[in-house]
Amino acid sequence: MKKFKPLNVVVLVIAVSFLAPANLFAQQSPKLTDPEIASVAVTANQIDIDNAALVKEKSKNQDVLKFAETMTNDHKAVIDQAVALVKKLNVTPKDNALSKKMQSDAENTRKTLGTKSGKEFDKAYIDNEVVYHKAVIDAVQNVLIPQAQNSELKQLLQNIMPALKTHLEHAQMVQKTLSAQ
Amino acid sequence: MSRLNNAGLIYMLLLLITSFINCNFDSLKSKPKLHVIEIKQMQFQPALLKVRSGDTVMWVNHDFVAHDVTEQAHKTWNSSPLAPGASWRMVADADAYYYCSIHQVMKGKLEVDKK
Repeated sequence: MKKFKPLNVVVLVIAVSFLAPANLFAQQSPKLTDPEIASVAVTANQIDIDNAALVKEKSKNQDVLKFAETMTNDHKAVIDQAVALVKKLNVTPKDNALSKKMQSDAENTRKTLGTKSGKEFDKAYIDNEVVYHKAVIDAVQNVLIPQAQNSELKQLLQNIMPALKTHLEHAQMVQKTLSAQ
Repeated sequence: MSRLNNAGLIYMLLLLITSFINCNFDSLKSKPKLHVIEIKQMQFQPALLKVRSGDTVMWVNHDFVAHDVTEQAHKTWNSSPLAPGASWRMVADADAYYYCSIHQVMKGKLEVDKK
């Protein structure tokens, strides 16, 4: 099975891409196969793990650090589930236009956030997490789930929705705390 | 004499039966219960649970990510992180708002009847 390289990047541009997921999919991948959906799902989770890794290097804010730790653990759990499923189904996740764009956007984002530090970094990271989770929720709900053909893959995508929504609420809570400081 | 003995016997029997019934009612009234709160789809279900003081509350994690259970106001009690499938229990003795310190928007409440 194909291994996904750690991106070690933070995403801002990907969030912008996801803001109009329907258009993005329409332009780049009008119809995703199950191996492509698996690739997109794993890439999206890996990007958020890489976001969190950057936080550990650059932030000293306990709320931000704790949120990042949760993102690391939860998104690893999702990837573990996805990997177990593709093994079971004997499917190899397949790179596609969307997953490639997500990765290149993530690299650009790393450059942007890499220039920030302290409170400015914390704010930029959390702002991105809010936008990113909104966009991913929208994409999973309106694109990936409807297009998934295999019922177990569809079920896995449905199962991760509550966690994504909780992450969004958590990010918004931290965002509010930061803005009050 | 025989009638007196019979009356005494009946009295003793009635006393025993009454004691037995009272004893059983008392045990029914005060016997602690076990309540289960399921953690699933990133929620405590039920989010509000009413129990009697001395009852045991058990949280069971059905999600695919770890959770914990932490008293919110003063952190007076908390579970360790509960892996998927794990559970934790405690005896309830006071009202409490609690939350998951890993996913801080997940909240629940225990209402404890101390009567």
